[in-house]
Amino acid sequence: MRKSGALLFASALAVTAMLAGCSGSNGNGAAPAGSSSTGTSGSGGQDEITLYTIQSTNPKFEEWLNEAQEKSGVKIKWVAAPTDSDTRQQKVSTILSSGDSSVDVLEINDEMATSFKNAGWLEPLQNSVLTEDIMKQLPQGYMKDMLTSTKGDVIGVPSYSGYLALWVDQKKLDAAGMTSIDNEEDFVKFLKASTKDGQYGYGGSWEKTYVFNEIATFVNLFGGDYFDWTNEGSRKAVKFMYDMANTWKVTPVDQIADKYEQMNQKFIDGKYAMVFMWGTGTDYKKANRYGKDQIHMINMPMFAKRSIFTDSWSYVLNSASKNKEAAIKFLKYAASEDGELNGWNNFDRYPARADVAASDAVAGDIKDVYAEIQKTNEIHGRPMLPQTMEFISEMGTQFQNYIQDKITLDEFCKKAQEAVDRYK
Amino acid sequence: MYASKKYLTIAWILVLPALLIRIFTTLYPIAETFRISFFEVKLLQGIHRFVGFRNYVDMFHDSKMIASISFTVLFVVGSMAGHLILGIALALILNMKFAGQKVLRTIVLLPWAMPMVVIAMASKWAFNNDYGLVNNFIRWFDPSFQLNWLIHTGTARNAVIAVDLWKDLPFFAILVLAGLQFISSDMYEAAKIDGAGSVQSFFAITLPLLSKNILVLCIFFTMWRMTSFDVVYAMTSGGPGESTALVAYRVTTEAFTNLNTGYAASIAIVLFLVMASLSGLSMSAAKRVDY
Repeated sequence: MRKSGALLFASALAVTAMLAGCSGSNGNGAAPAGSSSTGTSGSGGQDEITLYTIQSTNPKFEEWLNEAQEKSGVKIKWVAAPTDSDTRQQKVSTILSSGDSSVDVLEINDEMATSFKNAGWLEPLQNSVLTEDIMKQLPQGYMKDMLTSTKGDVIGVPSYSGYLALWVDQKKLDAAGMTSIDNEEDFVKFLKASTKDGQYGYGGSWEKTYVFNEIATFVNLFGGDYFDWTNEGSRKAVKFMYDMANTWKVTPVDQIADKYEQMNQKFIDGKYAMVFMWGTGTDYKKANRYGKDQIHMINMPMFAKRSIFTDSWSYVLNSASKNKEAAIKFLKYAASEDGELNGWNNFDRYPARADVAASDAVAGDIKDVYAEIQKTNEIHGRPMLPQTMEFISEMGTQFQNYIQDKITLDEFCKKAQEAVDRYK
Repeated sequence: MYASKKYLTIAWILVLPALLIRIFTTLYPIAETFRISFFEVKLLQGIHRFVGFRNYVDMFHDSKMIASISFTVLFVVGSMAGHLILGIALALILNMKFAGQKVLRTIVLLPWAMPMVVIAMASKWAFNNDYGLVNNFIRWFDPSFQLNWLIHTGTARNAVIAVDLWKDLPFFAILVLAGLQFISSDMYEAAKIDGAGSVQSFFAITLPLLSKNILVLCIFFTMWRMTSFDVVYAMTSGGPGESTALVAYRVTTEAFTNLNTGYAASIAIVLFLVMASLSGLSMSAAKRVDY
């Protein structure tokens, strides 16, 4: 009897341990699950904040940090964000939802911004940091879609401006006898020409929480609407992706297990001829595969239209912070020309402010491509809903089912529309 | 009488701090989990309302949850069957006397000493068709072999079970080995004199004498399998689709990614009740096995 009791108790303990942080309270809750790494760097400033950052593993992080401390006058302690996207999101959710004040400023992505901007966990910044002169230099559509709450509060300072752009392997483009990919016809021609000997024309990361980016990109290119699956353009887009994998076999179905790390490795190894990818090519530079004659970014091709997604990681201020004054000083610095250039110089992050991006301090081939993209493309923030990760995961699951022939196109569109209606 | 009452009071005072800590860290979270399971709690939308048993009813109409339950059953049964058969076999091998026995025992335990998250992350690469060591090994025998294990339901599920087995099997085997070493060699010698072969000795001596030990091990290893989520979290993220999402993984996803804590709590409570019932049944079975 005593043993049975002990086992009952052990069962309860095991299950409860999983839910120890599951209180529905919005007030004082448990501390965050712990940080993988923390550190400080000395400065002469009096103010002090704790920054939750995704950049701590960047080799130039110390240089960025020293300059940020020196120019903002704020001493910055930092907490490293996990590298895995799920874990990162869960950790930030726990910190913010539990009212934990141990972190003052956090770097969050669009998925998190969309989830949290209406939850009341982030401090409005339009009066203290993002004044009118700064706001008018930032991408207006993006600021409105991603960083503005339904009440009209602006909750984040974008740390850069990125595009989900098309990257090609120039050697494969040359081998296909092509000089550019200007439209859908070129795109398909290149797909087919570069698929041979176990190499594919297109590479993707179709893991269920990642594939959303590519589905939405093709939906945009075909003139569809991610929230309307009766729209012919939306249907054409997923049919096109299905055909790439199953009809033309120019991209592997295997990639439904791949995230960016696997996709990039294969692209670097020459297994893929083109991919859609964020950033300014840091991974390709590290692998000595970056350059006009190797892997480089090109403008989006014209399908039904030329369209591209923009993204950013934004600095936000935790409402529970006890160092708001110092945090605002840091955020003002982050939104300044110095702050944006610090990110460009040390992290290759293209400035979000148009005036800073246009300055002579920002130069290089990326700037030329970005200028061309800005001139010729419709630029959108990604289509997201408040229960962001749940929605993304649901759509990804249905897409994987479609690609694996478990459901038809009609069934996919029906289920996708149901998901939109459920989460909108 | 007075003295014994006094000692009892002192004893309670001494125990009280530990008791309070236990109440705060265990009983309170359990009670709170029960309470929340009757609420619809969606932190992102600021919803917190009483819904009675609706979370429990919804659970059995949720296709993701049904997929999770079916894989969890398969995972627990498959993994435990593997633990039992291979674990006992490995323990018997480790119990044999041969040169290098101690070194082998140490090597066998290495996977168990590694964190599951690290193993699962490495496994994601190991089962990759292009870069994985699993297919590289198979290609020694069949150079044309092509399979991306983690994209098909069946192979992904088998891969998850295989990784779980690879990690914890050695620990199970070492615990069985500890039981084996309590069996007196006299019994085997007596059986040998009576004409019993090794197979007969195994079924007539080893297995009966180990049965209680194995049953208790099975209870704990089954409970650990039922609450396991890290292998799936780092290796497949529950994919392809939802086909490898264990129930415990569903709990963490609902609680910490989707922030639907009420629904997550109801799943956790059901999991708790299933585990408690299984433990009770196993314990009563263990009582009947007495050699």
